[in-house]
Amino acid sequence: MSGRHTGEQHSHTVEGTDPRLYVGVHDPADDAGLRPVLLLHGFSSSAKLNWEDTGWIMALTQAGRRVITVDLPGHGRSGSPEDRDSYSPSRIRADLLQIAFDAGARPLRDGDPASGLDVIGYSLGARLAWEFGATQHELVHRLVLGGPNVADPLADFDLVAAQRYLADGTPIADASTAGLLKMAQLLPSNNIFALLSLVEAIKDEPFDAAEAVPPMPMLLVAGEQDERAASMPELAKLGARAGSMVEQLILPGRNHTNAVTSRAFKQGAISFLAV
Amino acid sequence: MAEISFPLPDLGEGLIEATVLEWLVSPGEQVERNQPLVEVETTKSAVELPSPQAGKVVRIHGGPGDKINVGEPLIVFEVPDNTAGIVGTVPKEEAPKRRVRLSAVLDED
Repeated sequence: MSGRHTGEQHSHTVEGTDPRLYVGVHDPADDAGLRPVLLLHGFSSSAKLNWEDTGWIMALTQAGRRVITVDLPGHGRSGSPEDRDSYSPSRIRADLLQIAFDAGARPLRDGDPASGLDVIGYSLGARLAWEFGATQHELVHRLVLGGPNVADPLADFDLVAAQRYLADGTPIADASTAGLLKMAQLLPSNNIFALLSLVEAIKDEPFDAAEAVPPMPMLLVAGEQDERAASMPELAKLGARAGSMVEQLILPGRNHTNAVTSRAFKQGAISFLAV
Repeated sequence: MAEISFPLPDLGEGLIEATVLEWLVSPGEQVERNQPLVEVETTKSAVELPSPQAGKVVRIHGGPGDKINVGEPLIVFEVPDNTAGIVGTVPKEEAPKRRVRLSAVLDED
Protein backbone atom coordinates (compact mmCIF):
# COMPACT_ATOMS: atom_id res chain seq x y z
CA MET A 1 0.00 0.00 0.00
CA SER A 2 1.83 3.08 1.10
CA GLY A 3 5.08 1.12 1.36
CA ARG A 4 7.96 1.56 3.74
CA HIS A 5 8.18 4.72 5.74
CA THR A 6 11.09 6.16 7.61
CA GLY A 7 11.27 9.39 9.53
CA GLU A 8 14.19 11.07 11.16
CA GLN A 9 15.47 14.31 12.49
CA HIS A 10 17.73 15.70 9.79
CA SER A 11 21.13 16.45 11.27
CA HIS A 12 23.40 17.29 8.36
CA THR A 13 24.15 20.88 9.23
CA VAL A 14 24.66 23.13 6.24
CA GLU A 15 25.90 26.17 8.13
CA GLY A 16 25.30 27.89 11.45
CA THR A 17 23.06 26.17 13.98
CA ASP A 18 21.26 22.91 13.32
CA PRO A 19 17.54 23.65 12.79
CA ARG A 20 16.74 19.95 13.50
CA LEU A 21 14.43 19.57 10.50
CA TYR A 22 12.22 16.49 10.57
CA VAL A 23 12.52 14.54 7.32
CA GLY A 24 10.36 11.63 6.18
CA VAL A 25 11.16 9.30 3.27
CA HIS A 26 8.24 7.25 1.94
CA ASP A 27 9.11 4.42 -0.43
CA PRO A 28 6.51 3.02 -2.83
CA ALA A 29 5.70 -0.70 -2.84
CA ASP A 30 6.11 -0.70 -6.64
CA ASP A 31 8.73 1.81 -7.68
CA ALA A 32 7.95 3.49 -11.01
CA GLY A 33 11.66 4.17 -11.47
CA LEU A 34 11.16 7.92 -11.47
CA ARG A 35 13.00 10.61 -9.51
CA PRO A 36 11.91 11.36 -5.92
CA VAL A 37 9.25 13.97 -5.14
CA LEU A 38 9.95 16.57 -2.46
CA LEU A 39 6.87 18.00 -0.71
CA LEU A 40 6.95 21.49 0.84
CA HIS A 41 4.09 22.48 3.15
CA GLY A 42 2.59 25.89 3.81
CA PHE A 43 2.87 28.41 6.64
CA SER A 44 1.46 27.15 9.94
CA SER A 45 0.99 23.66 8.49
CA SER A 46 3.21 20.56 8.53
CA ALA A 47 4.07 17.55 6.38
CA LYS A 48 1.39 15.62 8.28
CA LEU A 49 -1.39 18.18 7.86
CA ASN A 50 -0.55 19.32 4.34
CA TRP A 51 0.47 16.03 2.75
CA GLU A 52 -0.26 13.00 4.92
CA ASP A 53 -3.77 13.60 6.30
CA THR A 54 -4.85 14.93 2.91
CA GLY A 55 -3.92 11.69 1.14
CA TRP A 56 -1.03 13.02 -0.94
CA ILE A 57 1.64 10.65 0.35
CA MET A 58 -0.58 7.66 -0.28
CA ALA A 59 -1.56 8.89 -3.77
CA LEU A 60 2.06 9.52 -4.75
CA THR A 61 3.47 6.28 -3.35
CA GLN A 62 0.67 4.32 -5.01
CA ALA A 63 1.70 5.99 -8.27
CA GLY A 64 5.14 4.47 -7.66
CA ARG A 65 6.82 7.66 -6.50
CA ARG A 66 9.37 7.94 -3.72
CA VAL A 67 8.36 10.85 -1.50
CA ILE A 68 10.50 13.10 0.68
CA THR A 69 8.70 15.24 3.26
CA VAL A 70 10.17 17.85 5.55
CA ASP A 71 8.71 19.99 8.30
CA LEU A 72 9.82 23.61 7.95
CA PRO A 73 11.64 25.13 10.96
CA GLY A 74 9.22 25.87 13.80
CA HIS A 75 6.61 23.56 12.23
CA GLY A 76 5.48 19.97 12.81
CA ARG A 77 8.15 17.81 14.36
CA SER A 78 11.07 20.05 13.40
CA GLY A 79 12.97 22.07 15.95
CA SER A 80 12.28 25.70 16.80
CA PRO A 81 15.71 27.31 16.84
CA GLU A 82 16.20 30.57 18.72
CA ASP A 83 18.21 32.35 16.03
CA ARG A 84 16.39 34.09 13.24
CA ASP A 85 18.90 32.97 10.57
CA SER A 86 17.55 29.41 10.81
CA TYR A 87 14.25 30.68 9.41
CA SER A 88 15.51 32.70 6.47
CA PRO A 89 14.20 31.42 3.12
CA SER A 90 17.74 31.21 1.69
CA ARG A 91 18.91 29.15 4.67
CA ILE A 92 15.85 26.89 4.36
CA ARG A 93 16.59 26.36 0.65
CA ALA A 94 20.17 25.37 1.48
CA ASP A 95 18.88 22.86 4.03
CA LEU A 96 16.37 21.50 1.50
CA LEU A 97 19.15 20.95 -1.02
CA GLN A 98 21.16 18.98 1.53
CA ILE A 99 18.07 17.00 2.57
CA ALA A 100 17.29 16.11 -1.05
CA PHE A 101 20.84 14.85 -1.64
CA ASP A 102 20.91 12.95 1.65
CA ALA A 103 17.63 11.27 0.61
CA GLY A 104 19.21 10.10 -2.62
CA ALA A 105 18.31 12.76 -5.21
CA ARG A 106 20.96 13.19 -7.89
CA PRO A 107 21.49 15.90 -10.56
CA LEU A 108 19.49 15.53 -13.77
CA ARG A 109 21.08 13.39 -16.48
CA ASP A 110 19.72 13.13 -20.01
CA GLY A 111 17.80 9.93 -20.56
CA ASP A 112 17.77 8.93 -16.87
CA PRO A 113 14.21 9.24 -15.47
CA ALA A 114 15.45 8.42 -11.96
CA SER A 115 17.76 11.44 -11.93
CA GLY A 116 16.75 14.84 -10.61
CA LEU A 117 13.99 15.84 -8.25
CA ASP A 118 10.36 16.86 -8.63
CA VAL A 119 9.02 19.40 -6.14
CA ILE A 120 5.45 20.04 -5.04
CA GLY A 121 4.88 23.08 -2.84
CA TYR A 122 1.75 24.59 -1.35
CA SER A 123 1.39 28.29 -0.46
CA LEU A 124 4.61 29.27 1.36
CA GLY A 125 5.92 25.91 0.13
CA ALA A 126 5.14 27.03 -3.44
CA ARG A 127 7.20 30.17 -2.90
CA LEU A 128 10.11 28.09 -1.62
CA ALA A 129 9.69 25.66 -4.53
CA TRP A 130 9.70 28.53 -7.06
CA GLU A 131 12.99 29.84 -5.65
CA PHE A 132 14.44 26.35 -5.25
CA GLY A 133 13.66 25.57 -8.90
CA ALA A 134 15.10 28.91 -10.03
CA THR A 135 18.39 28.27 -8.23
CA GLN A 136 18.67 24.47 -8.63
CA HIS A 137 17.94 23.90 -12.31
CA GLU A 138 20.55 21.13 -12.51
CA LEU A 139 18.57 19.17 -9.95
CA VAL A 140 14.89 20.12 -10.30
CA HIS A 141 13.03 18.38 -13.11
CA ARG A 142 9.49 19.75 -12.72
CA LEU A 143 7.51 21.88 -10.26
CA VAL A 144 3.92 21.75 -9.05
CA LEU A 145 2.96 24.96 -7.25
CA GLY A 146 -0.31 24.95 -5.31
CA GLY A 147 -1.97 28.13 -4.02
CA PRO A 148 0.93 30.19 -5.40
CA ASN A 149 1.17 33.94 -5.03
CA VAL A 150 3.08 36.77 -6.69
CA ALA A 151 2.55 38.92 -3.63
CA ASP A 152 3.96 37.97 -0.21
CA PRO A 153 1.36 38.24 2.57
CA LEU A 154 3.92 37.11 5.14
CA ALA A 155 6.28 39.97 4.21
CA ASP A 156 3.41 42.41 4.83
CA PHE A 157 2.55 40.80 8.18
CA ASP A 158 2.28 43.39 10.98
CA LEU A 159 4.64 41.87 13.56
CA VAL A 160 4.28 44.69 16.08
CA ALA A 161 0.49 44.39 16.06
CA ALA A 162 0.78 40.60 16.41
CA GLN A 163 3.13 40.88 19.37
CA ARG A 164 0.88 43.45 21.03
CA TYR A 165 -2.11 41.18 20.51
CA LEU A 166 -0.24 38.23 22.03
CA ALA A 167 0.89 40.35 24.99
CA ASP A 168 -2.39 42.02 26.00
CA GLY A 169 -5.07 41.22 23.45
CA THR A 170 -4.98 44.57 21.58
CA PRO A 171 -7.02 43.93 18.41
CA ILE A 172 -5.08 43.71 15.13
CA ALA A 173 -6.19 46.29 12.56
CA ASP A 174 -4.75 44.57 9.46
CA ALA A 175 -7.11 41.80 8.32
CA SER A 176 -4.40 39.74 6.61
CA THR A 177 -2.22 39.82 9.74
CA ALA A 178 -5.16 38.92 11.97
CA GLY A 179 -6.12 36.03 9.66
CA LEU A 180 -2.60 34.60 9.49
CA LEU A 181 -2.17 34.80 13.28
CA LYS A 182 -5.56 33.18 13.84
CA MET A 183 -4.53 30.36 11.50
CA ALA A 184 -1.24 29.96 13.38
CA GLN A 185 -3.04 29.81 16.73
CA LEU A 186 -5.62 27.24 15.60
CA LEU A 187 -3.17 24.40 16.10
CA PRO A 188 -1.99 23.94 19.65
CA SER A 189 1.11 22.18 18.30
CA ASN A 190 2.31 25.37 16.61
CA ASN A 191 5.12 27.27 18.27
CA ILE A 192 3.83 30.82 17.77
CA PHE A 193 7.15 32.45 18.55
CA ALA A 194 8.96 30.25 16.05
CA LEU A 195 6.36 31.12 13.43
CA LEU A 196 6.87 34.82 14.17
CA SER A 197 10.63 34.30 13.76
CA LEU A 198 9.89 32.84 10.34
CA VAL A 199 7.76 35.89 9.49
CA GLU A 200 10.61 38.17 10.62
CA ALA A 201 13.09 36.27 8.47
CA ILE A 202 10.72 36.41 5.48
CA LYS A 203 10.45 40.18 5.91
CA ASP A 204 14.23 40.29 5.39
CA GLU A 205 13.91 38.18 2.25
CA PRO A 206 10.45 38.86 0.80
CA PHE A 207 9.30 36.87 -2.20
CA ASP A 208 10.16 38.48 -5.53
CA ALA A 209 8.89 36.13 -8.21
CA ALA A 210 10.58 38.09 -11.02
CA GLU A 211 14.00 38.09 -9.37
CA ALA A 212 14.73 34.44 -10.14
CA VAL A 213 12.36 32.39 -12.29
CA PRO A 214 12.36 28.61 -12.60
CA PRO A 215 13.14 27.53 -16.18
CA MET A 216 11.76 23.98 -15.85
CA PRO A 217 8.15 22.98 -16.66
CA MET A 218 5.67 23.89 -13.95
CA LEU A 219 2.05 23.28 -13.10
CA LEU A 220 0.24 26.07 -11.24
CA VAL A 221 -2.81 24.97 -9.26
CA ALA A 222 -5.30 26.92 -7.16
CA GLY A 223 -8.87 26.71 -5.92
CA GLU A 224 -11.35 28.79 -7.87
CA GLN A 225 -12.25 30.66 -4.65
CA ASP A 226 -8.61 31.23 -3.67
CA GLU A 227 -7.77 34.86 -4.43
CA ARG A 228 -4.25 33.68 -5.25
CA ALA A 229 -5.65 32.01 -8.38
CA ALA A 230 -5.71 35.50 -9.90
CA SER A 231 -1.92 35.70 -9.69
CA MET A 232 -1.33 32.50 -11.68
CA PRO A 233 -1.37 34.16 -15.14
CA GLU A 234 1.30 36.59 -13.94
CA LEU A 235 3.49 33.76 -12.65
CA ALA A 236 2.86 31.87 -15.90
CA LYS A 237 3.99 34.88 -17.91
CA LEU A 238 7.20 35.15 -15.89
CA GLY A 239 7.81 31.44 -16.35
CA ALA A 240 7.17 31.52 -20.10
CA ARG A 241 9.62 34.41 -20.47
CA ALA A 242 12.28 32.31 -18.70
CA GLY A 243 11.66 29.40 -21.06
CA SER A 244 9.45 27.35 -18.77
CA MET A 245 6.48 25.39 -20.11
CA VAL A 246 3.65 26.40 -17.76
CA GLU A 247 0.30 24.71 -17.25
CA GLN A 248 -2.48 26.06 -15.06
CA LEU A 249 -5.21 24.18 -13.23
CA ILE A 250 -8.19 25.78 -11.45
CA LEU A 251 -10.11 23.61 -8.97
CA PRO A 252 -13.83 24.45 -9.13
CA GLY A 253 -15.46 25.40 -5.84
CA ARG A 254 -12.27 25.10 -3.80
CA ASN A 255 -10.55 27.71 -1.62
CA HIS A 256 -7.01 28.04 -0.24
CA THR A 257 -7.72 25.66 2.66
CA ASN A 258 -9.68 22.89 1.00
CA ALA A 259 -7.94 22.78 -2.39
CA VAL A 260 -5.27 20.61 -0.78
CA THR A 261 -7.30 17.40 -0.62
CA SER A 262 -8.72 17.76 -4.15
CA ARG A 263 -8.43 14.60 -6.21
CA ALA A 264 -8.18 16.69 -9.39
CA PHE A 265 -5.16 18.43 -7.84
CA LYS A 266 -3.48 15.12 -6.98
CA GLN A 267 -4.23 13.51 -10.33
CA GLY A 268 -3.10 16.64 -12.17
CA ALA A 269 0.18 16.68 -10.25
CA ILE A 270 0.83 12.96 -10.60
CA SER A 271 0.32 12.96 -14.37
CA PHE A 272 2.29 16.22 -14.81
CA LEU A 273 5.23 14.65 -12.97
CA ALA A 274 4.98 11.20 -14.60
CA VAL A 275 7.37 12.00 -17.44
CA MET B 1 -24.31 -10.60 4.06
CA ALA B 2 -24.09 -8.07 6.86
CA GLU B 3 -23.99 -4.31 6.96
CA ILE B 4 -21.40 -2.32 8.88
CA SER B 5 -21.88 1.38 9.53
CA PHE B 6 -18.93 3.68 10.09
CA PRO B 7 -19.53 7.02 11.80
CA LEU B 8 -17.51 10.18 11.22
CA PRO B 9 -14.45 9.55 13.43
CA ASP B 10 -13.09 11.90 16.06
CA LEU B 11 -10.87 14.22 14.03
CA GLY B 12 -8.96 15.43 17.08
CA GLU B 13 -8.30 18.95 18.36
CA GLY B 14 -11.78 19.07 19.94
CA LEU B 15 -13.55 19.17 16.57
CA ILE B 16 -17.19 18.11 16.69
CA GLU B 17 -18.21 18.26 13.03
CA ALA B 18 -16.91 18.27 9.47
CA THR B 19 -18.23 19.36 6.10
CA VAL B 20 -18.27 16.93 3.19
CA LEU B 21 -16.20 18.26 0.29
CA GLU B 22 -16.40 15.37 -2.15
CA TRP B 23 -17.20 11.68 -2.06
CA LEU B 24 -14.61 9.55 -3.86
CA VAL B 25 -16.75 6.39 -3.87
CA SER B 26 -20.41 5.76 -4.62
CA PRO B 27 -23.03 3.18 -3.58
CA GLY B 28 -22.57 -0.18 -5.26
CA GLU B 29 -18.83 0.30 -5.59
CA GLN B 30 -16.41 -2.32 -4.27
CA VAL B 31 -13.61 -0.60 -2.33
CA GLU B 32 -10.29 -1.79 -0.98
CA ARG B 33 -8.96 -1.21 2.49
CA ASN B 34 -7.14 2.18 2.67
CA GLN B 35 -8.75 3.38 -0.55
CA PRO B 36 -9.67 7.08 -0.18
CA LEU B 37 -13.41 7.36 0.62
CA VAL B 38 -14.23 11.00 1.10
CA GLU B 39 -12.71 14.44 1.53
CA VAL B 40 -14.01 16.40 4.52
CA GLU B 41 -13.15 19.83 5.86
CA THR B 42 -13.08 21.00 9.46
CA THR B 43 -12.55 24.52 10.78
CA LYS B 44 -8.84 23.70 10.88
CA SER B 45 -7.99 21.70 7.80
CA ALA B 46 -9.14 19.44 4.99
CA VAL B 47 -8.54 15.69 5.27
CA GLU B 48 -9.05 12.61 3.17
CA LEU B 49 -10.49 9.61 5.01
CA PRO B 50 -9.20 6.19 3.90
CA SER B 51 -11.43 3.13 3.99
CA PRO B 52 -10.99 1.13 7.20
CA GLN B 53 -11.82 -2.07 5.33
CA ALA B 54 -12.67 -3.73 2.04
CA GLY B 55 -16.31 -4.14 1.07
CA LYS B 56 -19.17 -2.97 -1.08
CA VAL B 57 -20.52 0.52 -0.39
CA VAL B 58 -24.22 0.36 0.47
CA ARG B 59 -24.91 3.95 1.53
CA ILE B 60 -23.09 7.23 1.94
CA HIS B 61 -24.32 10.04 4.15
CA GLY B 62 -24.13 13.72 3.25
CA GLY B 63 -23.40 15.43 -0.03
CA PRO B 64 -20.89 18.20 -0.78
CA GLY B 65 -21.45 21.09 1.63
CA ASP B 66 -23.34 19.01 4.21
CA LYS B 67 -22.16 19.04 7.82
CA ILE B 68 -21.80 15.76 9.68
CA ASN B 69 -21.30 15.52 13.43
CA VAL B 70 -18.60 13.30 14.88
CA GLY B 71 -20.26 9.97 15.68
CA GLU B 72 -23.01 10.31 13.07
CA PRO B 73 -23.19 7.75 10.23
CA LEU B 74 -20.84 8.45 7.34
CA ILE B 75 -20.79 5.27 5.26
CA VAL B 76 -22.30 1.79 5.31
CA PHE B 77 -20.57 -1.28 3.85
CA GLU B 78 -21.86 -4.70 2.95
CA VAL B 79 -19.49 -7.49 3.95
CA PRO B 80 -19.70 -11.30 4.07
CA ASP B 81 -21.28 -12.49 7.33
CA ASN B 82 -18.18 -14.21 8.61
CA THR B 83 -16.06 -11.03 8.49
CA ALA B 84 -18.48 -8.59 10.08
CA GLY B 85 -17.60 -9.47 13.64
CA ILE B 86 -13.84 -9.07 13.39
CA VAL B 87 -13.66 -5.72 11.67
CA GLY B 88 -12.92 -3.90 14.88
CA THR B 89 -9.92 -6.07 15.63
CA VAL B 90 -7.97 -6.02 12.37
CA PRO B 91 -4.29 -6.28 13.35
CA LYS B 92 -2.35 -3.03 13.42
CA GLU B 93 0.01 -2.25 10.56
CA GLU B 94 3.68 -1.93 11.34
CA ALA B 95 3.90 1.83 10.96
CA PRO B 96 2.39 4.02 13.68
CA LYS B 97 -1.06 5.11 12.53
CA ARG B 98 -1.28 8.84 12.67
CA ARG B 99 -4.04 9.23 10.11
CA VAL B 100 -7.55 9.57 11.35
CA ARG B 101 -9.28 6.25 10.90
CA LEU B 102 -12.89 5.20 10.87
CA SER B 103 -14.00 2.49 13.24
CA ALA B 104 -17.09 0.38 13.04
CA VAL B 105 -20.42 0.55 14.79
CA LEU B 106 -22.02 -2.84 14.32
CA ASP B 107 -25.70 -2.73 13.40
CA GLU B 108 -28.19 -4.90 15.24
CA ASP B 109 -29.37 -6.52 12.00
